[in-house]
Amino acid sequence: MSKPARFVTTTVEVEGRTEQRVVEMPAFDLEPWGADAALTHVGARALRVDAALKATGRPGYTTDIRRPHQAYAAIVRSRIARGKVTRINVEAARAIPGVLDILLVDDVPARTRLFNAEITYHGQPLAAVCAENQAIADRAARLITVEFEKGRHAVTVAQATAANAQPVRPGLSNNLLFKEPRTTERGDVIAGFAAADVTITREVRTPCALHSALEPHAAVAEWDGDRLTVWESTQGIFRVRDNLAKALDVPLTNVRVICEAMGGGFGAKNYAAAHTYIAALFARRLERPVACYVDRAGEQVDTGNRPSSVQRIRIGAMKDGTLTAIEMVGEIQLGIGGWEGGPGEIYHELYACPNVRTHETFAFVNTAAMAAFRAPGHAEGAVGLEAAMNALAKELGLDPLELRRRNTATHDQKKSRPYTGNRLAECYDVGAERFGWRDWHRIRRRSKDAHTAPDPRVVPGKPHLRRGVGVAAQIWSTGGGPPSYATVRINTDGSADVLAGSQDLGTGTRTILAQVAAEALGHRLDQVRAIIGDTGATPYAGNSWGSMTVASLTPAVRMAAVDARRALVEAASGLLGAPSDQLEVFEGRVAVRGSERGMSFGEITAKLGNVMIQGHGSRGPNPQDAGIVTTGAQFAEVEVDTATGVVRVVRIVAVHDAGRIVNPTLAESQLEGGIIQGLGFALFEERVLDTRMGLPLNVGLHDYKIPTMADIPSIDGHFLDGADTKANHVGARGIAEPAIVPTAPAIAGAVADALGVDVLELPMTPWRVLAALAR
Amino acid sequence: MQITLNGRPVAADPEGHATLLDLLRDELALTGTKRVCDRGSCGACTVLLDGVSVYSCLTLAQGCDGHDVRTIEGLGSAAEPHPLQQAFALEDAAQCGFCTPGQLMAAAALLAANDDPSDDEIVAAMSGNLCRCGTYPKILRAVRRAAAMLRETGA
Ligand code: FES
Ligand code: FES
Repeated sequence: MSKPARFVTTTVEVEGRTEQRVVEMPAFDLEPWGADAALTHVGARALRVDAALKATGRPGYTTDIRRPHQAYAAIVRSRIARGKVTRINVEAARAIPGVLDILLVDDVPARTRLFNAEITYHGQPLAAVCAENQAIADRAARLITVEFEKGRHAVTVAQATAANAQPVRPGLSNNLLFKEPRTTERGDVIAGFAAADVTITREVRTPCALHSALEPHAAVAEWDGDRLTVWESTQGIFRVRDNLAKALDVPLTNVRVICEAMGGGFGAKNYAAAHTYIAALFARRLERPVACYVDRAGEQVDTGNRPSSVQRIRIGAMKDGTLTAIEMVGEIQLGIGGWEGGPGEIYHELYACPNVRTHETFAFVNTAAMAAFRAPGHAEGAVGLEAAMNALAKELGLDPLELRRRNTATHDQKKSRPYTGNRLAECYDVGAERFGWRDWHRIRRRSKDAHTAPDPRVVPGKPHLRRGVGVAAQIWSTGGGPPSYATVRINTDGSADVLAGSQDLGTGTRTILAQVAAEALGHRLDQVRAIIGDTGATPYAGNSWGSMTVASLTPAVRMAAVDARRALVEAASGLLGAPSDQLEVFEGRVAVRGSERGMSFGEITAKLGNVMIQGHGSRGPNPQDAGIVTTGAQFAEVEVDTATGVVRVVRIVAVHDAGRIVNPTLAESQLEGGIIQGLGFALFEERVLDTRMGLPLNVGLHDYKIPTMADIPSIDGHFLDGADTKANHVGARGIAEPAIVPTAPAIAGAVADALGVDVLELPMTPWRVLAALAR
Repeated sequence: MQITLNGRPVAADPEGHATLLDLLRDELALTGTKRVCDRGSCGACTVLLDGVSVYSCLTLAQGCDGHDVRTIEGLGSAAEPHPLQQAFALEDAAQCGFCTPGQLMAAAALLAANDDPSDDEIVAAMSGNLCRCGTYPKILRAVRRAAAMLRETGA
């Protein structure tokens, strides 16, 4: 028999994009943990391992790093949207005591792409200054004055695509991504609409939303000779390492990136950026550690955003609700850079429909570049698609949930293949039950037909208040994939380390990896520690993005732990005088089956001295003949004040199918977090642009509103029990992004239900609600 | 000037424009207190000034002369955590944890004044503390739980 190939090429999906990758096949296969596998740590509500650290304020965020003689940098940014720098005056800044150095475009390697003289958006870095402390650096930055020639900007899609529009940045022949709109079609939508009994059209707008992680983008850089260490608040330590090595032209081995703890990312912290290069360059010139934090205005203005969209939707259906055609024509305002993470994708995925066409115009404009923001594209697309579905249900006199149920997608329609698992129909049922969806509609029907019951939309004694309910569904690729590696080593005292090149954004990665390693090793959880967030100490893992971490990494961790356990058992076999296949391992002890004889891990490793018990694990490819998705449904009840236009969300019920849940408590926390961000997207969050000047107007947390505790409804977040053994041998899929997708559309559906009219633009601020009522 | 910081006298000589947050983080290297907005929008910098919660980014350092300041570093320790710290850990009330010190200090001020707050009172006391991870439901539960622990022990 020939040996199977060690390296094969496979397809991986990241945030809706498909990539070809070479992967290393795992050295051995593992039997999947089925839904009813008897597991001790996996599936347990273990406490977050760094909970106590966080509750005492000591996790070690980048902005808390204090290296000896650390200096501080500040960034000078453009205050216009388009133009050319003619001169930068630095004399006044340089004269301030405590100012150490100034970086201008001529001082930086071209590959850092820092400080371009061509201004293409408000907030673009133009220079940086370094000083003994942050206060001096900030003062010096304010004294640096920039002279420029003003150009004509385009900050809206209309401006950027006008007949006489100038390129928003040099080198563009027009201002569109791919130079032209992107059309994706399956089937024949013209025929689909011709066959429809009813056709619905809607135009829906979603805002530009800002990630607004509380910890800013930040880096601390320190050189030791030609070796660079960078502490960075990042979702991808290895990617930051690669970016730095390339931009600074140093070997990868000379760059070490560390992220011990981070204060949130949500998609905005996937690469090295201006602050990273500025810290590294100053540190090299000054031969001392340098910190560069992005200040809050910079954070809100220049670290990425969810691009705004306009979606013109047409859906056709038969009288029984069967969809015959879906069409969406969209405009996406990308910013100065960006990619095709648009609203179109979900139109092809969520509902069964043979004829679907999306036509998206992705326009570059003179605002800061977009970045992936939790379920990029899907969160926006779901708002449009679900608004149209609700309108269709109303037109047909169907329960909106029933309409969705009738159009449940049974397979991956984009690639004509089955799903490894998709229990969306069950999510509808369980969610409807937990929410009391049917009761609400029964009472509602009774009140309408016979006036025998009060209309549940009316609040007794409060004629200005109206209540309503809505439902929305979700689908998102969450298979994760290779390459991901892990090492598990058992120390001489029997404690174990699991090493993986991941990072914990607040999701609980550290805890999850320890749980899976303890399970597969047969160890006590408190004896296993995850070492992550250090490219100098760990094997490679990819970015924490695309809801990929658990599905990508836990199979590698499990394999590494099994590998280490095998070695330990072999060693124990000699010590216990029993063959390996008669030994069993449980909670840190190797015992001879059916006897009292056994040794703890510590007793075994003590005997071995410095012989290393070490296991290696890698992530094999995903099945190529099946799609891997997390699906779910969320139900919302709202109360709308028709006098003031204020929307209050009363409750949310969320039910998702994400395969195996490694830690239900952490999963619920993340689900609640996604719902709350979705609530902000629905009701408050919107970057406001002055289109005449090309400036963002609300660049702080005062004017850019994110939810507070006072805005939080009761949330019932629930995951279906189970394990997706076709996806990977741990049975887990991702949850981070699925959580946000249905929230805003469910709330919008509930508002429409309460008012009898749609609010077609998010966020549903009081003035938009009142305007909709006045229509 | 002199302040009592986490129970100990500390001498400092801040500049006139320096805030209490500048003093804590930049001069005294007490990094538990977080700087997020630096202008009173988020609550991440919340500390106790004479037992009352304040935004340290909006409090001038020199104005604290002779006063009592308590930060997350003085709320409890790993060995002897404050009931709020225990409750936050048990209820998973910190995701990324960046807002957590501010949340804890705001809650500590509330519970010092009222060990049996209603949910409305908790929300009123805590809604000046933003959490982008959306940990609010767990924070609410943790504050309730800590209040119950405090009432039980009579601490
Ligand atoms: S940092 Fe003080 S309120 Fe935000
Ligand atoms: S836990 Fe991340 S901001 Fe609150």
